Amino acid sequence: MRPILLAGHERALTQIKYSPDGDLIFSVSKDQIICVWFSHNGERLGTYRGHQGAIWTIDVDPTSTILASGSADNTIKLWDIKTGKCLQTWDFPTAVKRVEFSDDGTKLLGVTEKRMGHLGTIVVLDIKLDVEAEQSDEKAMTIVCEESKATVAGWSYLSKYIIAGHEDGSVSQYDAKTGDLIYNIPIHELNQSITDLQWSQDRSYFITASKDKTAKLISSRDLEVLKTYPADTPLNSATITRNKDFVILGGGQAAMDVTTTAARQGKFEARFYHKIFEDEIGRVRGHFGPLNTVAADPTGKGYASGGEDGYVRVHHFDRGYFDFMYEVERERQNRLAAVVSA
Amino acid sequence: MATQTKHDWADDEELEETTTTDLPPQQKIQNKDGTWTIIDYYYNEAGNKVKRTRRVRYVVRREVVNPRVAERRTWAKFGDAASDSPGPNPSTTTVGENIIFVPSVNWRKEAKDEANDPNAQAMKDKLKDKKVKCRICNGEHFTARCPYKDTMAPIGEAGAVDPAAGMGDEPSAAAAAATGAAGPGKKGSYVPPALRGDRAGARGETMGGKYGERDDLATLRVTNVSEMAEEQELRDMFERFGRVTRVFLAKDRDTGLAKGFAFISFADRDDAVKACNKMDGFGFRHLILRVEFAKKAA
Repeated sequence: MRPILLAGHERALTQIKYSPDGDLIFSVSKDQIICVWFSHNGERLGTYRGHQGAIWTIDVDPTSTILASGSADNTIKLWDIKTGKCLQTWDFPTAVKRVEFSDDGTKLLGVTEKRMGHLGTIVVLDIKLDVEAEQSDEKAMTIVCEESKATVAGWSYLSKYIIAGHEDGSVSQYDAKTGDLIYNIPIHELNQSITDLQWSQDRSYFITASKDKTAKLISSRDLEVLKTYPADTPLNSATITRNKDFVILGGGQAAMDVTTTAARQGKFEARFYHKIFEDEIGRVRGHFGPLNTVAADPTGKGYASGGEDGYVRVHHFDRGYFDFMYEVERERQNRLAAVVSA
Repeated sequence: MATQTKHDWADDEELEETTTTDLPPQQKIQNKDGTWTIIDYYYNEAGNKVKRTRRVRYVVRREVVNPRVAERRTWAKFGDAASDSPGPNPSTTTVGENIIFVPSVNWRKEAKDEANDPNAQAMKDKLKDKKVKCRICNGEHFTARCPYKDTMAPIGEAGAVDPAAGMGDEPSAAAAAATGAAGPGKKGSYVPPALRGDRAGARGETMGGKYGERDDLATLRVTNVSEMAEEQELRDMFERFGRVTRVFLAKDRDTGLAKGFAFISFADRDDAVKACNKMDGFGFRHLILRVEFAKKAA
């Protein structure tokens, strides 16, 4: 496969998101602009300018009309995807590290940083999925993280829970209606920050990546650890592929240590694991720095990774990827085929 | 507004000039074979006029997409991309070098094998061509290197030592045996108990050779395989004869093309025999396959 290199950013990438149809890729970086690209050929559709600080996070609503971004300039902004116009700005006391739309797009959560005497919080905003509509300025709910600040958060299936990953390696589950803490479970190693949280298609389970060099598959309902994927480097991102039972992990040593080692030792590769058997099944090289974010195409045809080197690499898988099966999977398929034909 | 202020006077005026000077217009000529020749002129970074001739074949590929997706493809570009022409802008979008990514169960092991491969192969080739026979024990080593040099008279009860046992089917094992054999040649050097004269024939099980428990009895060697072949195709072809436990297609590490030989292991030797008879001389792609039972590497 020949990856498409997108060089629209001048600084390290922070997050990449595919639109739900898989045709658009949104990328944000520390250089204060948001880019949107067509995933099939890497053509840039446009940019969204307006943030005054590094942009940490981005999300697309389920209908691909509105974009939300959170930045180190202490704001969340809403954008009209089609025109690049900024629709709304919410101000917060500290930087926003993560935003995510709920399943139906009517709610947006934001994770704010713990800094300058402010505790880390998870805020919930009501969203009207209309470019023309006036958005409300008020927060619908605020959850304060007193113990350890949240680094990532998301909505579970049916927007029933809010799941948050914390700096101390724990994962907590909040009631999405009341904001009450239901569970807080130490999942990753103590004080190894959780760096990413991405959902399965139906949001009944999710994957977390952590600085403790593992990624874990966790069920949303009871926060049970279903699978563990050990890597040999701190992880920055993890994603679950569609159609094939794989997960993709991205990481590499911390950005500050990069200059002291050769690219070969830096482990700047996307790692593919089998979701069920937990085996590592391959790696994809290419970045010159650690991978800060990986995103799987919702159509299952490819994935994109964003690195500290400022590049987004969009990959469209070859046939070998789709053909790959474990012996047991192949045998089951043959059996099923035999039953059908009989 | 933003786009206008973005253009700085310091952004080389020269560029402005060069683009306005008379570059011949782009020419598009259709060739007889359906391709197009595009000739255009541009200034390179050094300011020299460059003529570029490209031969392009247009291939129309129809793709059915969601209407929402199709609609989005018609959207006007905006922001920094507003002035881009249709299609990817080469300043932001480039195509990277080809990456070969084929998931594999024993990915880790394969990566290691590849690293060893050239040496191992070279060693194998060397051993293949040379038929060395020891005058003392009929083993495949020089007489001077024979572990029984001091204990046995030339050509005595050579049967005590099975030369094949000493030479494992793996190059690593062969190398180990060779060094072991070389050891006693030097007087007074340490010989591990397992390799000492009285026990050299009774070598224990090897731990995790390259193909640990490979059953050579039911393994076929397929040669003259097309370099475009895929493991899956071979598997499909040979699965007709019985359960295939392993397909190994040697591939060039850089190009990803097949090297022209493959090993197919069957669960059952009878199936292997059948497959061997049927598939030898079978036309696959543009070549005629040669199938035989894999020999233990000497």
